[in-house]
This record gives sequence, C-alpha cells and structure tokens, in this order.
Amino acid sequence: MEAVNSEIKERVNIREVYRYLGYGAGIPDDDIQSLTEDVIVHLVNAVKPKNIYKIYKCSTNESGVTLITDKALFFESRNLASNLAQCSRVVLLAATLGIEADKLLQRYEVLNMAKAAIIQACGAACIEAYCNILQEKICDACSSEGDRLYLRPRFSPGYGDLPLQAQKIIFEELECTKRIGLTLTDSLLMYPTKSVTAFIGLTANFQSCHINKCETCNNMECAFRGGV
Amino acid sequence: MNFRDLLGKQILFFDGGMGTLLQERGLQPGEIPETWNILHPEVIKQIHKEYLLAGSNMVSANTFGVNAFKCKNLEYTVEELVTEGVRLTKEAIAEIKKENAAESDRPMFSVLDIGSIGKLLKPLGEITFDHAYETFREIITAGDKAGADLILIETMSDSYEIKAAVLAAKENSRLPVVVTMIFDENGKLLTGGDVASVTAMLEGLGVDAIGFNCGLGPEQMKKLLPQLTECCSLPVVINPNAGLPVVVNGQTVFDVEPDAFAESVKMLVGMGAGVVGGCCGTTPAHIKKVVELCGKMDIIPVTDKGLTVVSSYNHAVTFSRKPLIIGERINPTGKSKFKQALRDHDMEYIYKEGLVQEENGAHILDVNVGLPEIDEPQLMEEAVTGIQAIIDLPLQIDTSDTDAMERGLRYYNGKPMLNSVNGKKESMESVFPIAKKYGAVVVCLCLDESGIPETVEGRLKIAEKIMKTAAIYGIPKKNLVMDALVLTISTGQDNANVTLETLRRIRYELGLHTVLGVSNISFGLPERSRINTAFFTMAMNNGLSAGIVNPSSEPMMAAYYSFNALIGEDDQCMEYIAKASQTADRPAAPAVSKSSALTLYEAIVKGLSESAYEATVKLLEQNTDSLTIINEKLIPALDVVGKGFEEKKMFLPQLLMSADAAKASFAAIKTSLSKQGKNSGSKGKIVIATVKGDIHDIGKNIVKTLLENYGFEMIDLGKDVDPEVVLKTVREQNVRLVGLSALMTTTVVNMEATIKLLRESGLDCKVMVGGAVLTQEYADMIGADFYSKDAMGSVRYANELHDKGEL
Repeated sequence: MEAVNSEIKERVNIREVYRYLGYGAGIPDDDIQSLTEDVIVHLVNAVKPKNIYKIYKCSTNESGVTLITDKALFFESRNLASNLAQCSRVVLLAATLGIEADKLLQRYEVLNMAKAAIIQACGAACIEAYCNILQEKICDACSSEGDRLYLRPRFSPGYGDLPLQAQKIIFEELECTKRIGLTLTDSLLMYPTKSVTAFIGLTANFQSCHINKCETCNNMECAFRGGV
Repeated sequence: MNFRDLLGKQILFFDGGMGTLLQERGLQPGEIPETWNILHPEVIKQIHKEYLLAGSNMVSANTFGVNAFKCKNLEYTVEELVTEGVRLTKEAIAEIKKENAAESDRPMFSVLDIGSIGKLLKPLGEITFDHAYETFREIITAGDKAGADLILIETMSDSYEIKAAVLAAKENSRLPVVVTMIFDENGKLLTGGDVASVTAMLEGLGVDAIGFNCGLGPEQMKKLLPQLTECCSLPVVINPNAGLPVVVNGQTVFDVEPDAFAESVKMLVGMGAGVVGGCCGTTPAHIKKVVELCGKMDIIPVTDKGLTVVSSYNHAVTFSRKPLIIGERINPTGKSKFKQALRDHDMEYIYKEGLVQEENGAHILDVNVGLPEIDEPQLMEEAVTGIQAIIDLPLQIDTSDTDAMERGLRYYNGKPMLNSVNGKKESMESVFPIAKKYGAVVVCLCLDESGIPETVEGRLKIAEKIMKTAAIYGIPKKNLVMDALVLTISTGQDNANVTLETLRRIRYELGLHTVLGVSNISFGLPERSRINTAFFTMAMNNGLSAGIVNPSSEPMMAAYYSFNALIGEDDQCMEYIAKASQTADRPAAPAVSKSSALTLYEAIVKGLSESAYEATVKLLEQNTDSLTIINEKLIPALDVVGKGFEEKKMFLPQLLMSADAAKASFAAIKTSLSKQGKNSGSKGKIVIATVKGDIHDIGKNIVKTLLENYGFEMIDLGKDVDPEVVLKTVREQNVRLVGLSALMTTTVVNMEATIKLLRESGLDCKVMVGGAVLTQEYADMIGADFYSKDAMGSVRYANELHDKGEL
C-alpha cells in the first residue's frame, strides 16, 4: 500500500462513517462494525488519491475574499470572508480519491447494497481524512520556527453563501482536470464523486480545532448534523 | 513527402509549449488562448515560426482546447477557431520556407492539435460516448478541411475518450493520427489504464504513433519508456514537460532548462523514441537544443512485437505459453434462467454471472446475449458497457449478428476479443472489416461451407485460408486465435484426437494462438466433468492458449492450476498452493450449519441472504404456497425491519441487509414459479430515476431495492435522466407513480422541470421525491405529491397508493 493510503486508513474517523450511515452518535452492532472495518481496508487498498493545491496571500473585506497572484481572484462570499478574516494566507486545495472509489461503489450496488451504502459512507470519510492529512502537511511546511501557523476549518463551494459557481474558477485555477483527473459537470458536480475542493485559511492565531464539522452549514434540519 | 513516409524512418521533432508563451505575450487569466487565433493571429503565427526555426518538423495549431463545450460561451464557433488555427500553422510554414532558402526542403507539417474535452464519459461519468465522438468529429472535420497534415490527440487520460477521438479521426479523415497520453509515475492513466492496455487498444484502432506527453518531465518519462517500447509495435512519441510542476508565488512553473532538457531527451531517443518535442514549460530554446543534440542520431527501428493481446480499460491480457481462462457463463444457450433474465432485461443477473466468474479466476469473459426475440445489438451495447462499469476483465464479444458485433466492439473500452468468424466466404466478408476497424482479436472457427472437416488436414486448410483472407483485410496473424473445434467423443471415437492434433499443428506449425470450447467434448456422456478435465489438460498440453470454460467448475480450475504448476509457469507453485488451500478451507459438505436452523422470518430480520434462500427453498419443498411465503413470512419480516428503521432502532445497513436477504428469498420463489410457468405478479409499476444533471444514484438504488422487495415492478431509468425520458416511459408503460431523486440544490431545478413536464402532459401519475437537500417545504414548492425523508417513506407511500387502488 502506498504511504498515503495507509495514512488515510489510520486517520479515517469511523464515528463519522457511522454518522453518515444514520447512527447519529450511536455505534452499530458488531457485524456492521466489522463489515465497516473491512470496507475501509478494501477501499483504501483500491483508491489512488491525488491532489493539487496552490497557496496565496489573501485579503478579505465584508463582501468577499481576494486571492492575490499576478492576477487578483475575487470570490464573493461573506461567509468565506469571515472564515478567512484572520488569515494571511489561504490554500486552494483540490483532492480526490480517484475513479476507483466510484467503480467499487457501482460494483457493490449490484452485489450487495448494504456494503455499497457502507462504501459510500467510508468513501466520504476517507476523502475527509485525506484532506486533513494534506492540510496539516501544507500547514507545517508553511510554518517556520517562531512563526507557527494554524489551520482554519476547510470551506468549500456550496457552504454558506459561497455558490457552487466558484467551482469553475477553482477548476481553471488549479487545472484540476488535467492535473488530477477531476472533472466538473454542467450542473457543477464533481467526478470522481469522492472529491473535495476547498479554501483553507492559514492564520497565526491559535485555533483549537480545525477539523470542520457542521459549523459552517446553515441547514439546521439536516439529519446528519453533528453535535456542533 | 508526407508525414507517414518519414515517421519511423528519421527522428522527427514536435514543437513545445504554447500556454506560457502566450501569457508572456499578454494572455489574460480567464482568457481562452484559442481566441487569439482570431484576435492576435500574428502572435500565434510568430510562435509557430520560432518553433520551426528552432528545428521543429511539426507545428501544432493553437486548437488544443477548442471544443463545443468551451465554445458555448464564446462568440466564435469551433470551426472558426480550428480553421484559423490550422491556417496560421500553414502560413508559418510557407513563410519560413520562403524566407529561408536553407529551410525550403526540410519537412514541415501542420498539426491539428486536439486535447481532452474535460468531461468524464458514461457509464461512470457525465457524457455519452457518442456525444464525445460528435465533439471530436466537429473539430476533426474542420481541421481536415483547413488542410492539416496530421492529427495529434494529446494530453489524454481516459482510454474511452481516446477511443472516441480516434474513431472520429479515422471515420472523418484520412490523416495520420498520433496519440499521446498523460501517465503518472507508476505508468497509470488517471482513469486507471496502464501503458500496455492503451497501447493494445490504439494499435488495434490503427493509429500511426503512440506516446507520452505532459504530466511528467523527461527524467520521469525515461523510467516509463521501457514499458511502452516493450509492447508497442508503432513509432513512439515523447513530449515531456520541462520537469515536474513547481508552484512559485501561486504560479505553476517548470524549471528544467533547455540544456538539461535536451540531454534527457537525447537519452529517450537512445531508448527508442522516434518523435520528440516538448509540452508545458518548454520553449523554442528547449526545442532548439533538442534538435541540436538529437538531429543527427540514428533512429532505433520499430519492430513488430507480435503479441496477441486483448485489454480492458485498465489492463492487458497477453496470450502466452501459460493458458488463459475465458469464462463462458454469460450465454443463454441451454439456460432457461438466463434467457428469462434477458427477456426481463434483468441486467443485474448478467452482471452477477460476470462477477462470479471474475472471482473464480477468469481472465476474459465471453459475452453472448443473443435471443431471437430481443433487440440483440441494443442489449449487446448495454451488456458491454454495463459489465465494463463494474468488472475489469477484457471481454469477448460473442455473437453471429454483425450489427450486435459492431455495437459491442464500438462501445467497448479497450482492445476486445471477437467470437467469431469462420472459413465461409460470407462470414469472412462480413466479420473481417469490423474486426479490422476496431482492432479485435478474432476467434476463427475451422469450418466452412462444407462443414467441419473430419480430418486434421481439412481443419488446417481452413485455418490457412482464414489467415490468408485476414491478411487481405490487413488483419495480422497476431490478431487471430484459432478454434480447432471440439466434437463430442460420444459420437466419434477419434474426435478428441483430431482436435488435439489440429491444436498442436496450428499452435506450433502455423504459429497461431488457439482456443476451444472445452466441455463440448463430453456431450451425451455421464459424469461429464471427468472427461472435461482430462481433455482440458490434454488440450493445454497440445498447445491450447485459452480454454472457454466455466471458471466456477472446481475440477476444471484444479486441472488448470495443476497444469501451470507442472509446466513451470507457476512461480514456486504459489498460485497452485493458494488455490488448493482455498478449496481445503471450504467445508466438505454443507452439513447442517447453524444458519440453516433459522426460519425465513429470522433470516430476513437478521439480514442473512444465504439462510433466507435456504429457508425459502425448504418452505417450497414442503409445498408451502409462494404467496403464503411472501405474505406471511417475507413481508412481515421486512415490515419489522422497516418499522425498526423508522423508529431509529435499526439502521440503514441493517435495512439493506434485510432487503438483500429478502431478494435472495424472492429469487428462490421466482425460480420455483417459473418452473410452474407462472410469475410472481406485481403490485404495480413504478418509474424511478435520478434527475438530469445528477450523478449520485445510491439513494435511488436503495429505494429501488426496497420497493422491489415489496412486490413493485421497478423501471429504473438510471442517473442523469432527461425529463423527456421520464415522461416517455410513464406514457408508454402507463405508469402511475414516479420516484425522483436529486442530491444537490443545482439539480433540484431539474426535478422541478421533470415534475412540471409530467403535469403538463396531463398524465394521471403521482410523483414522490427524495434526496439530501430536499425538505417537505421544498418538495411542496416544486409540486411533488410526496416527500420521502428516508427509504422507508417511499415504501409506505407506494403501499398506500396500492391499497387505494391508485397504482
């Protein structure tokens, strides 16, 4: 197994998998638990994670965020601006588990629907784990002694008032399709499906928790909402 | 001099990058580079001229990103941008030749440059193969008309998209076609293909040269090149980036300088690259150095590797001394259940047959879906694409219907195998052109107008005739696999001997690979597997390259693994040992296991498929009426689980395990009913679909599974379904309930559009909706009749309608 794959396996938050499967804060019975553990191994062995990112200086005002390069990329979103308010720099990240996760899912939708549902949930948890690993590495690389940086929670198109349209700009900026095989449909969904694009703020202010849960989402009715 | 005359005879040079040069000349972020063909033609032409002066033979038109998707928001058409782009290369060539007497004889070619559309193809992705084909056709027709000398299909990372592009090129122009792809450092395309699998496919499709571009620098390509030269019988093209991308101040840069770049490229030429140039980050300075260093080098001649190889989308299977297993089970002949599945359009049944064979060690799967009463070409296309969506093995398209053959081959992702042609004039005339076009490896039956010869000589003569005729169609020996034919020994004592001797001589005298439908040998005899396994071993020992067998037959597979171990084709007997211990692990006889003690009700509640099946069989054996089983055991069990789910005492995985168990029970009931010539009846038809634009369909599939178990007949339209298709189905099949699923806010609008269309049609049909972003309020707003907050909601609603007689 590639190093990053085993790292993902280590970092998968299995409680999140159970939450995606509808268990809330509960724990499934032993059979489902061991099936879930098997699925994670199976999935992690099959996937070929890929990522691409760039790091920008950024400035925020009340209406949105500007990423500064030789050009200025502006994203209109109050929520994103407040997420990145204290950040000197921002990472634009695209990450995917690759097409293998979708293949596996299609296969088990024929063979065993229960397993397919678990693959779906594990896939979601794996891409989250992969992003967590990546962002921590990026943050470490950007920090220097005496100048420690901290991560803000990831913020993706579709969160709050940041429209999915932002995907178009991100895809062009990071060349997602050419570099990591991530494609965007006309309806702005990503293929392969187990993929994430996100803004990740880097700040000198200490952050107690950077792992994003549901705090940025406005859907209070959501059945999967975590205890935030 | 045209390109084909020089290719492979001398080192030829492509140009280098375009994007960075345009940025230096003022291309703004977000601006489409190809619009400069019209806005700043002089700049584009000047870049072409710089490359020509640096020594490039081929200049690529600035058409890489032109396609109908991109042009949608531009004020220029694909034809305008392509025509101008090609024109500029031709002008640049003419001007250079005119301005520099020394250059007047140097070969220079205008290249129609085609990149990826940037969309993933179905069955996994968004657009159809035909849509991709049309997109490429538009570009190619324009480029051909504008006078390009060759077509470069480059920076590709999906074999299926490549196939669409190559077919579009071959069917709409006669220009040479060069294909270069992005591989990662492990030699994999982003969609999983490896070097050998795409090389096999592209050689089959008849392209002129194959290679790598982008993604990697020359140093990384050096490591990958042997993988290509090992299997490729065509000239090799290498267009690397100027190193791996490095991000500096938010900008992607490539930092290998011209000298170092050229030194590496020189080594690539020494390793067998016949055409070289550059990609991202390379400049005329890079190309100039490359031409200086490599211009005088001798080209390494390309040799035919003579490999008989088929491939799936992700790997190649090569015929060799070690025989292959071709799974024979996807075939209705003599199987009433399979026939029924075809009539019912039960694709899942076909897929499961495939999955089982893959699990049991097949290397290739035969696919035969021919029944007189069905639309075989349509079903062949569906079966091939459907199987390829979930199974990685290469397929053998098995049909005598040439339309089905062509459909299967066309929509196949990889280099297919084709079953079959025979020595009859009519057969060869109809099959060979199709086989040639799609590059299939063809199974050739040693029979002709006079039937199956009784003698070895007679069969060999036909084999030779087929070989010679194939050559006339341009099909090389390596793409033919001979079937020596098997007749049962129960009707002719010498039948096995004739087959074995024919095999041996085809394999070792004619030098062709061979195939047999092994089990035919024992027709009419008792205990057939005894004869089959003995004959299989004898055949392999006489030169059988691939056996068409049932991989689920343990004795056959045991013979196979034993044979490999005996001929020294199983490293340290590892495979034999692994398989043998698997068999030993299995309990000898399914004695009374603890599971069989479970009642059907218990088995379903616990979600145990096998127990549920066994329990159902037992009930049927005790002459329990099938309706009683369904109404008194199965449905109450499902209800209890469903209720537990709604009360949050049970959860989704359990619900689905129970559903799968119920399905297994139904399968047993269905088999029993069909034996009595009955069917299980239906509580009503329901159309179910994931709406247009949406690609996440697990939610829909969960709902479908549950409704099926409650006795509803499900018409599953799949994902990304056009509203018109939903309407058409509802109208034609007289359906009273539609289930729609959408995951994202961006696609809920299409849910609304579908509902609107159904309402406008005036058809009397109810619509239930579900999906992550939906709420009751939202469902009301878009005019749905019912909002199902989870999978069980839909069951409740459908049952309610059924009870009211509204379904």
